[in-house]
Amino acid sequence: MKKISRRAMLAGTAGLFAMPRLSRAQGAKPRLTVISQWSAGSDGAAITALGKKFEEKGGTWQHSPVPGFTTEMMNKLRAQIMAGDPPACSQLKGPEIAAWSKIAATVNLDALVAAAGYEKVVAPDLARLHKPGGKWISLPLQIYSTNMLFLSKRAMDKAKADGIPVTWAEFNALAEKMKAGGVAYPIANGGTRPDDGQKFEAALAGISPAAYRTAIMNLDDKALQAPELKAAFAQVRKIADWMDPNTAAQHYSINLQRFIAGDMGMMIQGGWAQGVLLNGGFKLDEFIIAPGPSDNRHPVFLLNADAFIFWQRKEPDLQAGQTLMAQLVMDPAIQTMYSQITGSIPVRTDVDLAGAGWSDGQRRTAAALKEAVAANQAVLSLAHNMAQENGMTAAMIDVLTEYVKNKAITPEQAVARLGNAVEGAR
Amino acid sequence: MSEAAPAPAPTDRRRLAADLGRLPELLTIWVPLLLSAGHITSFALWTIWVSFTPSTLVPVSGWVGLRNYTAMMATRNWQIALDNLLVFGSGFVLLSVLTGLLLAILLDQRIRGENLLRSIFLYPLAVSFVVTGTVWSWLLNPGIGIQKLITGLGWASFRFDWLIDRDMAIWTIVIAAVWQSSGFAMALFLAGLRSVDGDLVKAAQIDGAGPVRLYGRVILPTLWPITVTVVVIQLQFAITTFDLVRALTGGGPGIATQLPALVVYDFMFQRGLIARGAAAAVLMLLILLAVLLPYAAWRYLQNRQSVHA
Repeated sequence: MKKISRRAMLAGTAGLFAMPRLSRAQGAKPRLTVISQWSAGSDGAAITALGKKFEEKGGTWQHSPVPGFTTEMMNKLRAQIMAGDPPACSQLKGPEIAAWSKIAATVNLDALVAAAGYEKVVAPDLARLHKPGGKWISLPLQIYSTNMLFLSKRAMDKAKADGIPVTWAEFNALAEKMKAGGVAYPIANGGTRPDDGQKFEAALAGISPAAYRTAIMNLDDKALQAPELKAAFAQVRKIADWMDPNTAAQHYSINLQRFIAGDMGMMIQGGWAQGVLLNGGFKLDEFIIAPGPSDNRHPVFLLNADAFIFWQRKEPDLQAGQTLMAQLVMDPAIQTMYSQITGSIPVRTDVDLAGAGWSDGQRRTAAALKEAVAANQAVLSLAHNMAQENGMTAAMIDVLTEYVKNKAITPEQAVARLGNAVEGAR
Repeated sequence: MSEAAPAPAPTDRRRLAADLGRLPELLTIWVPLLLSAGHITSFALWTIWVSFTPSTLVPVSGWVGLRNYTAMMATRNWQIALDNLLVFGSGFVLLSVLTGLLLAILLDQRIRGENLLRSIFLYPLAVSFVVTGTVWSWLLNPGIGIQKLITGLGWASFRFDWLIDRDMAIWTIVIAAVWQSSGFAMALFLAGLRSVDGDLVKAAQIDGAGPVRLYGRVILPTLWPITVTVVVIQLQFAITTFDLVRALTGGGPGIATQLPALVVYDFMFQRGLIARGAAAAVLMLLILLAVLLPYAAWRYLQNRQSVHA
């Protein structure tokens, strides 16, 4: 008897405390604490514009950018989570969303996503990443493809070519033609780890999206020994032979001048390179953007998406801010505004890119995504931390970057090394 | 405390006054010393603890024994880092000591403009390692740096492409590090040379010793305690090198220029494997102790000898 009455009292007291909180949550002025790495350039401009929209809706926007690599943003996030004071919302992407959601409580966004009808306009593989355990806890913001093919118009003139290569065989033929036509290095490249990783993922996904899915995304042991992997490494060797070996650890953007001048011919790079090229003062008619080579002639889309994750907070104003932020991020008008600033494409597959403010490259990218999703060829990028958690990704990229830089490694050895690296990092 | 104590006897009171008089000096010495010692050891102990836990993204409690250590030592990254440490550590220490000694001897010839030259040689020490690394990464890049300059001057077959050569890339770090810190070795050696007893030098000269014999037999032997100090300081720098490599080669080509500190950072913060990174950090600490403990023992013996002498 006594026990029950005490429990009832407790429940009643808790209710008393909760009631005004709930009613206040509806009335509270929305406030949002956000951390991201976006502080400068088009990324900084885009998130500032998003903050303005948030304030127009009556919210208080508190963004603390952590400039530098994503890891530095993550260190700040880690510190805040360990201190029990996570931001209401933070940048995070790929499988790290699932990993981090295990160390702190997140907000269940299912109701908001359902109300916006968002799920049916997001690529299925992408949706899965943002709802670990079946619940939406994070929202993708913008999409890039990591395997876009950039062609230098001047290099094309030197090679007397005008067709855009669709398969790897056509790509290789064009590279040979460029070499013969006096293009010093048919492939423009940087020397960073993601750069080397991108060459491999573009090769494998272009040769066989199914093999990419089973081997790289699902880490299937048998698939990791499949002949497609050997073929992909062989293709990477060809690409590496056409690159300027002198790039050391430089960023790819250092070579953009030589690329546009026709000293380098083709570039396999993320869609973000368009923004970098335009920012560097080059014109849209000096280069062509097309989907990366695909042997079955349907575009293969290597997905890279930035996203926001929402961390559980008790404060009613922060909760109201999270609701408002989620609604904004899913809004087609906001996604349009954001992508037009950064050069990405919207997450929503139903946004029309015909209007002004979009480039041909963005239109082609969006069309490629739609077609790739229909053909089940939209896969997650390894090099940009979308396919695996960071530990596994780094172990695999170790093998890929060594292979690109060491011509003594054969494709067979590389396949074996990749298998070992995966085993070691499991 | 003192208010609660009963009224002290006169002798006690005098002692108390004396103690109080020494209070500022005790505070200025002991408080910072204890704080910094506590700071360093507590973090070291914490890292050692983490290295035995199954922590990944954030530290968690638990016990996995030596699993993090065996896993870490089995990675290619750590093995490459250790090999590189051996090459870099010996190459860097040897070359910076020799260069520093040579510069010091040359400066010791009572030449004009010594102050200016000394400042110039010491100057690299004032430059951040990131700047050093970046500048040398351009100089050593065969496509734009020294190689390009010399081939452009007409020696078309000249090759100096260590930066992109997996086997030689670690030597580019040696070059940059020697450039940066041989001035420091020079300064210490110069101080040592200047403190050599002038009578000793004169006596040797009167006995007809030429400059080679004078340095080889008389002056340099007196410098060996300084040499030990320089070697130990440079060695501990070599073991903890991080930013220079980050800026110069980024650990590449591939993973050919990994060093222990890079591996620690990579595993802890980029791969989200805190316990593995902590294990690597503890291994680094052990390597450091292997250098510093013999040095401390040697210092201790030196002191005892000088006391007994």
